[in-house]
Amino acid sequence: MGYLNGFRVTFNKMFEDRVTTEYPEEKQEKPDRLHGRHVLNRYEDGMEKCIGCELCAAVCPAKCIYVRGKDNPPDDPVSPGERFGFVYEINYLRCIHCDLCVEACPTEAITESKLFEFSFSNRSDAIYTRDELIVDDDGRPQQMPWEDWRPPPDWA
Amino acid sequence: MSHEATEEPSGVILNGTEIGFEDGELLIEACERNGVHIPRFCHHSRMEPVGMCRMCLVEVDTGRGPALQPSCMITCSAGMSVETESPATKKAQDGVLEFLLINHPLDCPVCDKGGECPLQDNAYAYGPGESRFVEEKRHYTKPIAISETVFLDRERCILCDLCTRFASDVAGDALIQFQGRGAQTEINTFPDHPFASYFSGNTVQICPVGALTAKPYRFKARPWDLDEVESTSVIDSVGSRIAVQSSHDVVLRYQGIDADAVNWGWLSDKERFSFEAFNSDERIAEPMLRSGGELTEATWSTALAAAADALRGVDPERVGVIGGARLTNEAQYAWTKLFKGAIGTDNVDAQLGDGLTPDLLFGYPRATIDEACTPGGTIILLGPDPREDLGALFLRLRHAVVNDGARLIELTPLTTGLSSLAAARLHPHPGETSLVARALVDGASGDVAGVSRGAIDAARRAIEGPVTIIAGRANLAEHASLTAATVAELMRLDGARVLSAVRRGNIHGALDMGMSPGWLPGRQRLIGHSLGSGWPKVPTVAGLDSAGILAEAAAGRIDVLVLLGADPLADVPDAALARKGVSGADKIIAVDTFVTDSVSQADIVLAAAGPCEREGTFTNLEGRISVVAQKVNPRGTSRSDWEIAVELAAALGIDLEIESLDDIWAELSSAVELYDGLDLEKLAQHQREGIMLRPTPESTDVFTPVDTPRNDAYSLRLIVTRVMYDRGSIVSRCPSGATNPSSPAVRVNPYEFEQLGAVDGERFTLTSTAGKMSAPLMGDVSVPRGAVAVVFAQPELDVRSLIDHTAAVVDVRIERA
Ligand code: SF4
Ligand code: SF4
Ligand code: SF4
Ligand code: FES
Repeated sequence: MGYLNGFRVTFNKMFEDRVTTEYPEEKQEKPDRLHGRHVLNRYEDGMEKCIGCELCAAVCPAKCIYVRGKDNPPDDPVSPGERFGFVYEINYLRCIHCDLCVEACPTEAITESKLFEFSFSNRSDAIYTRDELIVDDDGRPQQMPWEDWRPPPDWA
Repeated sequence: MSHEATEEPSGVILNGTEIGFEDGELLIEACERNGVHIPRFCHHSRMEPVGMCRMCLVEVDTGRGPALQPSCMITCSAGMSVETESPATKKAQDGVLEFLLINHPLDCPVCDKGGECPLQDNAYAYGPGESRFVEEKRHYTKPIAISETVFLDRERCILCDLCTRFASDVAGDALIQFQGRGAQTEINTFPDHPFASYFSGNTVQICPVGALTAKPYRFKARPWDLDEVESTSVIDSVGSRIAVQSSHDVVLRYQGIDADAVNWGWLSDKERFSFEAFNSDERIAEPMLRSGGELTEATWSTALAAAADALRGVDPERVGVIGGARLTNEAQYAWTKLFKGAIGTDNVDAQLGDGLTPDLLFGYPRATIDEACTPGGTIILLGPDPREDLGALFLRLRHAVVNDGARLIELTPLTTGLSSLAAARLHPHPGETSLVARALVDGASGDVAGVSRGAIDAARRAIEGPVTIIAGRANLAEHASLTAATVAELMRLDGARVLSAVRRGNIHGALDMGMSPGWLPGRQRLIGHSLGSGWPKVPTVAGLDSAGILAEAAAGRIDVLVLLGADPLADVPDAALARKGVSGADKIIAVDTFVTDSVSQADIVLAAAGPCEREGTFTNLEGRISVVAQKVNPRGTSRSDWEIAVELAAALGIDLEIESLDDIWAELSSAVELYDGLDLEKLAQHQREGIMLRPTPESTDVFTPVDTPRNDAYSLRLIVTRVMYDRGSIVSRCPSGATNPSSPAVRVNPYEFEQLGAVDGERFTLTSTAGKMSAPLMGDVSVPRGAVAVVFAQPELDVRSLIDHTAAVVDVRIERA
C-alpha cells in the first residue's frame, strides 16, 4: 500500500498556507530595487533629458544600447544644450538589467521602471527605440501592446 | 642603473638614471624617448615650442639648485638633473590643472573630445581630483562657427597656442589669433575674416581640448565606438598617411598620421574631408546597363556578360582605355594585364591630357620630398601651385623654405601660394617658360619672355645646393611638351632632380603599372619586356594617349571606350574633344563610384568600391609605395577594381591567373625588376613610411616642344590654373569642400583691364580658335601683362571651351559681350 504515502503528502498540503499566486491575474508586490525596462525622462518643461552622450552605451556590458547624438536645432531644441540623443535604442533580447547605464547617465535621462512583463513575438519589437522609451507628457512610460500592465502599476 | 656622481656625466640624469640625448634635443622629448612621459598640452614636435601651458613643469637642476622649468622649452645639456616624480613636480602639475579647470566647463558628456581628451586624461592622471572653486565659471556663446567647417567653443579653450601657431607658422594663414587680456583672453578670428584656410582641419586635430570641432565629425560618434586602421590618402598624389576611423561600417573621420618622410601628420582639408563623398547617396551601389535610353540596375553577371560581349572579337586597335588613377596599384596591374597583355591594345592612358609624359618622369633622377626639402637646397617650382593641388606637399615645402633655409625659385605663369617666400619669382609669358629656363642655366643677355635680365640673374645667384625641380602642369592651356622641354633645360643644372607634381590620385602608380601608351608595368617599354607568358598579346607599337583615343572615337573609329574612374567630359582640358570623343564612341564601359557626366553616357556601368572599401597599395609622387587599408564594407555590391578586371576577363574566357592581391605581388616581384623582392607583407612592415622605388633612370629622349606661335598684338595668352575646390567628382560631393568657392571671374592685368575700358565684373566674350565663352572680367596685378588667367572647373565658368589640346598655347581675344 506504499502508494498511499504519496497521497499523504498531497493531503497534508491542503491544510498549509498557499505560496503560489494566480499569476498573471494576481501579482505580487515588486521588490524596491527591481530593475525593469528603461524609460527616457523629460524635464518639467518637456525637454528631453538625454543629451546623446553615449556614456550609457559605453558602459553597457551587454552592448545592447545604441545612441547617436546630433546638433540640437537652435529654433526648436529637443534637449537643453548643444546636443541631443537623436537615435536611442535598447535591445531587450540582450539587456541584462544591470542598471549600469542608469549609473553612468550624467543627466538622469535613463532610468529603469519596474515593468518587466513584456514578451515579444518578433525581434524588432524587442528593440525599444527613443520614441517608445520616452515618457509621455505626464512623465509616464508608454505602454507597448505586448506589455502586461495588470494590475495597473502604482502610478496609474 | 643608478648613477654615481663621481665623474662629470655626459648625459642627463633623469630621475637618478643617466640618459643620452641628441644635440639640441628638448628635454620633454628626450624623456619621452627614454620611457618617461611628461604631461603636456602646448608641445608639438612639429612646431616651435612656446611654453604656454606650463603642464610640463619638472624639477630641473643645472648646478644652481633644483627649480621648476617647462621641459618643452629647455634643451638637454650634460649633467642636467631632472626629477619628474618629485613632490615639487607633482604639486606643480596639480596646481596647473586646477588653474586650467577654474573656468573650464563641465561639458565632457556633450564634448566631442570626451574620451580622447588630453585635458581629461591629464586631470585624471595628474590633477587634484576635485575643485576648490565654487564661483560661477566664465561664459561665452557656444559654439561659434569660425568658418563653414570649423566651430569654436571658447569656454573649452585652454589657450595652448597650438591652433594659432599652426595657422600662422605652418600653414601661413594667420586667421585665428589670441584676443583680449588676462582672464578674458580668447581665441578668435578677425571680424569679416572667417577661418577659411585649406588646412583648418589640422587645428581641429591638434587642439588638446574640444574647443575646435569640425562639422563632418561633430556629434557623429564617441571615441570609444570608433575603430581605426592606418591607411594612405588617395585623393591626391602626395599619399599622406591617415588613420581611417569608422563606426558601424561608416567612415566618420580621417586623422593625419605623422609619417616622417611624407606628411608630418598634416592633411589638407580636401584630403581630410574627402571621405564624405564616398558616404554620399550618389554612390553607384549596383552595376547598371543602358536600356531604353536609361541606366538601370543590373546584376553583376548580366553586366559583366554585356561588357564581355562588347569586347569580344573587337579589333584591339578600336579599343581605348582612359583613366586608372583612382585604382590601387594592384588593380592597375590587373587592368593593364587584361587590356595590354590579353586583349592586345596599347590604347591605355591614365592621364587625361593634364599630366606629363612618363618619359620625363622615368627618364630623370627623381627626388623624394625630403630631398626636395633639404636644408640649404634649391627648389625650382614649375607648378602647379602646390597649395591648391597638393596641400600636404605645400606644407612641407613651406617649412623647408621658412625654417630650413631652402631657396625657392618660382618659374610659374602666375604667383602661387609660396610666392611671398620665394627667393626669386619669374613669371614668363605663357609658352615661353623654357626660354627662361635656358637663361636660368646659361645666363641671360637681355630680357627673356617678359622676365627682366636682372630677375634672371638674381635667380641664378640664388641657386645653391641640391636642386629639385617640381614639375607638373602649371598651365592647362599650355601643351605638355612645353613643360617637358622646360624640365629638360633645367635638368642641365648640376645634380638636379625632379619631384613630380602630377596631381591626380594614384597616377604615379598607374604610370608605373604601364597605364600609358608605350609602357608596361615596372616602367618597361613594350619591346623586350620581362612579363612572361601571362602577357601573350602585348602590342609592339605604342598606342594612343587619351587625346588620341578621344579623337579616334570622335571619328567613329573606337568601338569600345573603357573609362576606369575617369570623367573626360569634366577633366579633359579640351572640352570639344572630350564631348565629341565620348559621344562618338560606339560602346562605353565605365567602372566608377559616381555617376559623373561621362558615366551617365555609358552603356555598361560596373560599380567600384570606394577608397576605404578595398585593400591594396598606392604609389605617391615620389615613387613611394604604401598600403591602402580596407575599413568598411563596399557600398551595395560594388567590388574592388582588380576583382572586376579578373571577372571581366573570365567572362571573356581569359584567365588572368590572379585570385588574390598576393598573386599579383608574386607576379610583380618575380617578373618585374622594379618590384623585386616586394610583397604585401614587406609593405605592411614598412607601412608608416612606405617603400621608395628607386630604379636607375634610363636616359631620356630629347623633348621637342610643339612650336609656340608668336603672340599677335590683339590677343592675350591664356593661363588656366586649378584651385583646391573645384567641380571634381569627389570634392564636389563633399559638403565641406563645396563651401570654398573661388572667384568666378576672368582676370587680366590692370593695364589691359584699363585698355578694355572695363568696370569690375563686367561681362566680356573670350574667343579662341577652339571656341567662345562669356564671363565677368576683373583686374588683377598678379596676372602678367599679355595674359589672361582663368580658374579650371569652376561653376559657371567653363574655360575648357577655349582650349585646343593640339596647340602649344591658347591665344584669346577679349571683346565686350
Ligand atoms: S541616456 Fe544618459 S548616458 Fe545615455 S546617452 Fe542619454 S544622456 Fe547619455
Ligand atoms: S575639452 Fe575635455 S575636459 Fe573639456 S569638456 Fe571637452 S572632454 Fe571635457
Ligand atoms: S582652441 Fe584649442 S588649440 Fe587653440 S589655443 Fe585653444 S585649446 Fe589650444
Ligand atoms: S607643454 Fe611645456 S609649457 Fe606647454
